[in-house]
Amino acid sequence: MKKYIKYILLLAVIGISSAYYMYNKPHKNIQKAKADFTLNATDLFTEYEADEETANAKYLDKVVEVEGKIQSIKTEDNGQTSIVLDSGSMMFGVNCQLDTTKVETVNRYKEGDNIKLKGVCTGMLMDVVLVRCVPIES
Amino acid sequence: MRNILLILALFAFFATENTFAQGKYFTRDGHVSFFSAAPMENIEAENHKATSVIDTETGRMEFAILIKAFEFEKALMQEHFNENYMESNQYPKATFKGDIQNASDVDWTTDGTYDVTVSGDMTIHGVTKNITTEGTIIVENGAISAKSKFKVAVADYDIEIPTVVVDNIAKEIEVTVDMKYQRLEK
Repeated sequence: MKKYIKYILLLAVIGISSAYYMYNKPHKNIQKAKADFTLNATDLFTEYEADEETANAKYLDKVVEVEGKIQSIKTEDNGQTSIVLDSGSMMFGVNCQLDTTKVETVNRYKEGDNIKLKGVCTGMLMDVVLVRCVPIES
Repeated sequence: MRNILLILALFAFFATENTFAQGKYFTRDGHVSFFSAAPMENIEAENHKATSVIDTETGRMEFAILIKAFEFEKALMQEHFNENYMESNQYPKATFKGDIQNASDVDWTTDGTYDVTVSGDMTIHGVTKNITTEGTIIVENGAISAKSKFKVAVADYDIEIPTVVVDNIAKEIEVTVDMKYQRLEK
């Protein structure tokens, strides 16, 4: 009986530590994640505008790499920074919220510049929204 | 005669200035967060991508948020929130469309803080409920912002919480809304 105890203890330790690991599972690292789709901002927006449901089925929760012209850059009081990419539409575009660790990258860009960003697609309101975006610089 | 003309011109100027402040205001970077206080743990999440439109002429307000744009401290919580509770693949958005009940109390052209009562339809998890809540409208140097804090009962929106985690998630979630509007260019 005694010799089993250490195996049972070992199992318990493995169990508890893996539960702890699961509980503290880190967020997906977008920087390292491979893009599921690579396209330009205009095409992404057009697909959403044409058929939101189909586009949602295709892009929701996926890592999307978009390329486009910067329509506006905005930093909120709370430090949240977004870059809106031109979509050919008058008012709306692809709204990319930068990952909080990548906020300083906006200093290297200005309106009208081309930029490549990779982020998680969360759907469309007026803009198509990507969150936790990281810039892709060659 | 010249004086009268001048007065008329000034009057016209102020008149247009006044009407200029009327109209539609919107934001696409609104802040919505929620807080769940439960015996086992506190859970909070933030969404910085809320869109909202406010029509100062009619007192109409509309909000929309993407459920997947809520960010949690822990990835696992975010996963459970999206997949088990909100089913955000099926219901990607939450919306509110309503009216300021006492819109006439708000002077959109004068700086100040105005208490308002807003009621309308809130849609979460595909379920629409009529709600009424209190909020404030702040007018400062021609800029408009809106704030509100209210409780949402999880059960009202057919969100099922398994008994195993019933001590981890509050039955009423406190939602905080903070919007800074920009004038909608015509």
